[in-house]
Amino acid sequence: MTAIAAERYTGASIKRSEDPRILTGAGRYVDDIKLPGMLHAAFARSPLAHARVLSVDVSAARALPGVVAVLTGADLDAMTVPAPDPLLALLGGAGPTPEFTLLATDKVRLVGDPVAIVVAESRYLAEDGCDLVEVEYDDLPPVMSAAFALDPNSPPLFANLGNNIARPHSRHEFGDVSGTFASADRIMDFHIDVHRHQNVPMEGRGCVASYDVDLGLMTVYAATQSVHITRNGIAARLGIDADKVRVLAGDIGGSFGLKIGASREEQAVAAVSRHLGRPVKWVEDRGENLTVSGQAREESFDVRAAISGDGDLLGLDVKMVIDTGAYPGMGTMVPSIVEAMLPGPYQLAALGFESTGAITNKATYVAYRGPWASETFIRERILDVIAKELGLDPVEIRLRNVAQRTDPPASMITGRPLAGVTTKESLERVAQLADYPAFRRRQAEAREQGRYLGIGVATFIEAAPGPRPPGPDGTLGMESMRLRLEEDGSVALFTGQMPHGQSHQTTLAQIAADEFGVPFEQVRVVVGDSDVVPFGLTGGSRSATMAGGVALHGARQLKAKVLDFAAYVMEASARDLVITDGDVWVRGDPATAIPVSEIAQRAASGQFGADVDADLEVEATFDGGQGGWSGGTHCAIVDVDVETGIVKVVRYIAVEDCGALINPAVVEGQIRGGVAQGIGAVLLERSAYAEDGNFQSATFMDYLMPTACDVPRIEIEHLQTVPLDDDVNFRGVGEGGMIVAPPTVVNAIEDALTPFGVRIYEQHLPPGRILELIAAADPGR
Amino acid sequence: MDITLKVNGTACTGSPEARKTLADFLRDDLNLTGTHVGCEHGVCGACTVILDGRAVRSCLMLAVQAAGSEVTTIEGLAVDGELGPLQQAMWDAHSFQCGFCTPGFVMQATAFLGDHPDADEQQIREALSGNICRCTGYQSIIEGVLLAAERNRARSGRP
Repeated sequence: MTAIAAERYTGASIKRSEDPRILTGAGRYVDDIKLPGMLHAAFARSPLAHARVLSVDVSAARALPGVVAVLTGADLDAMTVPAPDPLLALLGGAGPTPEFTLLATDKVRLVGDPVAIVVAESRYLAEDGCDLVEVEYDDLPPVMSAAFALDPNSPPLFANLGNNIARPHSRHEFGDVSGTFASADRIMDFHIDVHRHQNVPMEGRGCVASYDVDLGLMTVYAATQSVHITRNGIAARLGIDADKVRVLAGDIGGSFGLKIGASREEQAVAAVSRHLGRPVKWVEDRGENLTVSGQAREESFDVRAAISGDGDLLGLDVKMVIDTGAYPGMGTMVPSIVEAMLPGPYQLAALGFESTGAITNKATYVAYRGPWASETFIRERILDVIAKELGLDPVEIRLRNVAQRTDPPASMITGRPLAGVTTKESLERVAQLADYPAFRRRQAEAREQGRYLGIGVATFIEAAPGPRPPGPDGTLGMESMRLRLEEDGSVALFTGQMPHGQSHQTTLAQIAADEFGVPFEQVRVVVGDSDVVPFGLTGGSRSATMAGGVALHGARQLKAKVLDFAAYVMEASARDLVITDGDVWVRGDPATAIPVSEIAQRAASGQFGADVDADLEVEATFDGGQGGWSGGTHCAIVDVDVETGIVKVVRYIAVEDCGALINPAVVEGQIRGGVAQGIGAVLLERSAYAEDGNFQSATFMDYLMPTACDVPRIEIEHLQTVPLDDDVNFRGVGEGGMIVAPPTVVNAIEDALTPFGVRIYEQHLPPGRILELIAAADPGR
Repeated sequence: MDITLKVNGTACTGSPEARKTLADFLRDDLNLTGTHVGCEHGVCGACTVILDGRAVRSCLMLAVQAAGSEVTTIEGLAVDGELGPLQQAMWDAHSFQCGFCTPGFVMQATAFLGDHPDADEQQIREALSGNICRCTGYQSIIEGVLLAAERNRARSGRP
């Protein structure tokens, strides 16, 4: 193994370099941008879920003093060109391609669909203008369920498709599905629903677009997970070359998958700025964020499980229907990931998987922290139900089925090798920490007093970034970074990562500081300028490995280059030189030390001929090395009040393995935040629609999120086993908490309600639903 | 309407429209963009400022209602570039991630600790339960406030 040069910072909970600005109000979020002559946009939006647009009258809005322009869907259509969603374009989403315009022209397809954009001297005036936009609609029947969408008689949302199928039905088989089911001792059937909920970053979407008419250059200040994907989306829609668009991003107030690329609204704002030749700001309000920014997870599953009499899960046959909402987004891609990940860390002999995507009059399906998470939910849910049927303990059935760690590693039946997966160890450790026998005693005592405690466990693995695919061409993608030694002695890292809470300006600096040999404070991490940083995206829990890895390798390359140059100016051999604490010196002779800043200043002096490489900058790339999985086991203990239906999570334990930790406090923050979202998803959050398509959770009084009183202390223990790569064994933790907390909590609730015989096949369990489940299971109550 | 108020110790004047919220006035008219607007309906607490000693939601107040008042925003807590004790404790405790909810939590906790220097964890959780953070799961925030309280007690020589 090639160790990091000096592990002074890597592995320690170094205080974040982001915090001094964030804690003093000096962060720069998109709504803080103020440009000379800047106008403000607001959108007039549809109050109906599905309707033809008969006419749009903007004359009264245009006449309002302070309103500068009002543009309709037809106006925008005339000044832009059709373009696919930039994330879909990047990932190569195939399948039906609905035709639609940036703002509604012929019809509206969800409550909140934008119909016109009003641009005014202030946001207040722009919203006044929206109230004056008169739209005449002709109601169409709303398509509010996947079942109705897949009915050939449902009215198609998109005329060019002729039906409401976003992803045509497909079926794939891995292993011998029919043979496995034919020889199983038992076959069990389940129907499981996962409800619609959503990202809800505390900062919504927004941008400031500023077009320079003379230069033909568009500058967009964005809230995004990737300045380049946003740039591509804006450029494609405006019909100009990508190099005519510069996207800048500062601090970003969370995203969780929502802010990738450029939304229709953001593209419209850019088009209007070009049209007017003035900067235009749009920042969505919370109502817009909840109603139209995007939602996730509305999926249903018919699951058949083939089981042996003693509890081996032999095979699964799954039918998935996903409600992708109105417009193209992540939803059409999700079933393929669910299929690939469904076996999890368990050894299945066979998997049949079929899926269909349905288009409905609801908000578009977007990526939300672990977009494929439902595979973990259904797997970990049915394992508990099977265990109950067979009289096994939940930990026992999991230990029984988890793939053994072998060399070479076992592979998931869907193909990926389970290299370095430590599910077994995490299960055993969780059982120890929770002290199962002691809990069961407490549970029995509590039940005698009318208190219903429950314990639940669930495991997960997270491709963060995933194992290196087998074969010589196997690659996990490529991450780039430019690194430069500046004349002030600082090491600048230019990364395409676009942190929005992940603390990259701290973590990447920790790694580079150790490897290069400068104090942490001497590393500057530059993000958020599409003209300056290499292509990148913060998402998919990839950055610990990919960006961490390129920071390590890049710092090593830069150091070699600096030492070569230093050897020349110091008249020494590069092999004898070291860099520590920001000084270059001849090993064994501290008196020779000179600051790296002096070396950089010498290099910048321009006094060297072509035979000396004085360009102290490198472009590094990293292919992910051996990659690997993150994963672990979570455990929740809940207290269910069977009179009120209120569930309290009283204890929560996470045993995780994300390889080598870069910054434990940052890792634990990611885990806790994900778990909090998972607790919210089960106990509180639901994006709710009425049958007529009206959106019912458009405020924080209706869309409830966990508060400090709803989330318990989360106990975390790290397993750091099985290094796979020579030197890059950091793995991501962005999504795991949100992936595994829902089944963990639901399993605990079902355990608490065992005396009532309750079986749970759904994920959203607010108090009213808990009471219904108890009543349905025990009609005598 | 012309108003005069004191913001972070400095007298300020302005002429906001009657309907302008205090949050928008601070951000747009005074360029104090540290106060964040998260929901505009008083639930999330991101816009919390301290007005005449009490934590208030600046999205639910009109600027004109603040006439004659003393307002402290997140920009007013660090003195001469030195973080205030709560800010320092929250830095030490890794309290935050994306930072959007941060000003609201810091202002709410500042007001609460001022009145309840000996608060325990449960009291702090309840006091901050009107502020929403989507990133952290709250534990690190609570730890930051507890750490600040502990240091305050040590500084004042109390147990």
